[in-house]
Amino acid sequence: MKKLSMILAGILVVSSLAGCGAGSESVTTDNDVPAVQETESAQETKETDVNKEPVTITAWHDNDETMMNALADVVNEALKEENITLKFEKKSDVTGQIQLYGTDAQNGPDMYLFAHDSLGSFAEMGILEPVSNLISAEQESDLIPMTIQAATYKGEQYLMPVYYETLLFMYNKDLWEGEIPSTTEDLYAYMKEHTDSEAGTYALVNQHSGAYNVAPFINGFGGYILDSDGNPGLDLQETKDAVTYNKKFAALQADGDYNTVTTLFNEGKAAAIIGGPWLISGIKEAGINLGIKSLADFTLPDGNTLKPYSGVQCLGVLKYAAENKHDAIVKVLETLAQPEVGITLAKGFNCAPANSKAYDDPEVAANEMILAMKETAKVAQPMPNIPQMNVMWGPTESLLAAVNKSGEDVDAAAEKYQNEALSAIADMQ
Amino acid sequence: MKKKKAVPWLYSFPAMLLIGIIVVFPIVYTGYISMTNMNLYHWSDFEWIGLENYKRALLKVDSGFLSALETTLLWTAGNMVLQVVIAYLIAVGLNAEGLKLNRLYKTLLMFPWAMPAYVSILIWRVGMYNTEFGLFNKILVALGLSKMDFLSKNSSAFLACMVLNLWMALPFMIMMIDGALQSIDKSMYESAVLEGAGFLQKNIYITIPSLKKIIAPAVIMTTFTTFKQFDIIYLLTMQKGSLSGASLQTIITYAHQNAFVSNNYGLSSAVSIVIFGIIIVFSFGMNRSGKGERGEEA
Repeated sequence: MKKLSMILAGILVVSSLAGCGAGSESVTTDNDVPAVQETESAQETKETDVNKEPVTITAWHDNDETMMNALADVVNEALKEENITLKFEKKSDVTGQIQLYGTDAQNGPDMYLFAHDSLGSFAEMGILEPVSNLISAEQESDLIPMTIQAATYKGEQYLMPVYYETLLFMYNKDLWEGEIPSTTEDLYAYMKEHTDSEAGTYALVNQHSGAYNVAPFINGFGGYILDSDGNPGLDLQETKDAVTYNKKFAALQADGDYNTVTTLFNEGKAAAIIGGPWLISGIKEAGINLGIKSLADFTLPDGNTLKPYSGVQCLGVLKYAAENKHDAIVKVLETLAQPEVGITLAKGFNCAPANSKAYDDPEVAANEMILAMKETAKVAQPMPNIPQMNVMWGPTESLLAAVNKSGEDVDAAAEKYQNEALSAIADMQ
Repeated sequence: MKKKKAVPWLYSFPAMLLIGIIVVFPIVYTGYISMTNMNLYHWSDFEWIGLENYKRALLKVDSGFLSALETTLLWTAGNMVLQVVIAYLIAVGLNAEGLKLNRLYKTLLMFPWAMPAYVSILIWRVGMYNTEFGLFNKILVALGLSKMDFLSKNSSAFLACMVLNLWMALPFMIMMIDGALQSIDKSMYESAVLEGAGFLQKNIYITIPSLKKIIAPAVIMTTFTTFKQFDIIYLLTMQKGSLSGASLQTIITYAHQNAFVSNNYGLSSAVSIVIFGIIIVFSFGMNRSGKGERGEEA
């Protein structure tokens, strides 16, 4: 045993001396000019070789795969010379997966693409590298300020905005009779006249018990789900008024389940739906003659417009990737900051680009859906990106379901779920 | 002598090691995490905080927990009684003399059990209970009645979940009872008929006593599965983004709602350990009552 230890120690000493030797060799050539030149040129060659070494950047997402591949193609084409490849991998529950693998350089991704509302959680966990450390503000000067605001947490820009989404009023031109109303009261009158729930035909359907889909009413009434300091606002009078107002619409909108409302619209049993660009592929497949109107064009009884949330789809960089693949990550971010990515996503997939220069493209500028989202973005509020938002969806949806589906009293339900929200926020600490 | 005693342990060591890694380690690790402040704000720099999380976890075991426990017991008892009775009747029917194609019926009855639970539940949610496309509402409308949202109120949602649970769980129980029925000596029935026994008497005095011992393990196993049932109630009524309006809670859904949405792993682990303790106590109770019954029989 002693002998074996001695042999092992011997091997260690010899190998460490050999390592020192390699270093000292390069030092001894420093005084020799031709040798320096040789070394420099050798280093240059070596550097070029290193640059040409293929680097693959992996990004997780849970979007449409065709869309993500189109995005990757634009980046990969631009970075062909650099030998950098951006590869997207689809994962279900991206936020959960990032929590699990966010510190695992071996098995985790280098980047992820997701809506900005999970930013606060990841930033607090300390797993993200702020993109402001990787790319200058000048290079991002063309990005729409609202998207930068969404990507910023505690004064630090952590994410790179790619495109944004808002809810829209989408209608079937073959079914809707007359003009689209400009007030929610006129809209309600139209719904009452054109809805026959026993026959299964509806004027307008909405996920009426989903927090994201009712946010246009809540924000429009001056209420909020969560304020910027992390306080829930479910029992605010303005929020309760909005929930009560939404209830009368909900009574004419089937059960409000995602599958139910999209099927009703795609089968021509509902003349209109409140939804986002993610519904487009199904609507196109169903052959619906689609018309679009911005939710900002509807006025509430208090004179405000509907104010939906905006969700900004951003790329986040994991800390270990920023250390291990720094140069490649910077190149990818620089390419994403250019308008080409936005133009491709807008033309092929009706996404509203985060880069304002993308709207100079005539085809993008003429896209009805993108124009409506751009219009809505003027009044839309970015979803809160603080960590508390993660626990607010549950209590808010419970409140809406209790009021709309179980017929519970708004005041009592608001108090109950406000307490639940406070308790969930306290449990985070 | 000592060597003789050690050999069986040596042989079973690999299996015990495997069980230790798969079963015991996660529980011990959960116990460790429950004594730390691991949460979003202390993701990699969490510290040992002793029993602090348990104080908070026990505070959570409030009236909400007691009502969830009540629902769970009602759910377990209701399901088990109906399951055993219905499965018994169907199995006896399948074994009736002169029944043609009984193998086909048995195969068809296995389908609900063979289907993945997630798929079955979502099919029932949309295909059966949905207000617009569900079969039950189509029937109601065809009969000139109003549509009904089966999942919006606690009582109707409880029954809807129970019907689905029965649909999914009956095949297993039918199979167990059917197998047990095959093992009963036919001559006992012949003797009973000669003594003038009818259908009811044959069932009460021969079939049921003969089945008891054979199906007891299946009933105990199913009782546990039903007790900790999560997916049916969660996917039918509580799925994120598709809340049905009912606020049914069993202890497992309660634990999930209170523990796992906050990303506070320390507190979640403490709540899990408390629930784990309650389930252990419950299983000891079940075991003891089982032993008692067997003792009486002996």
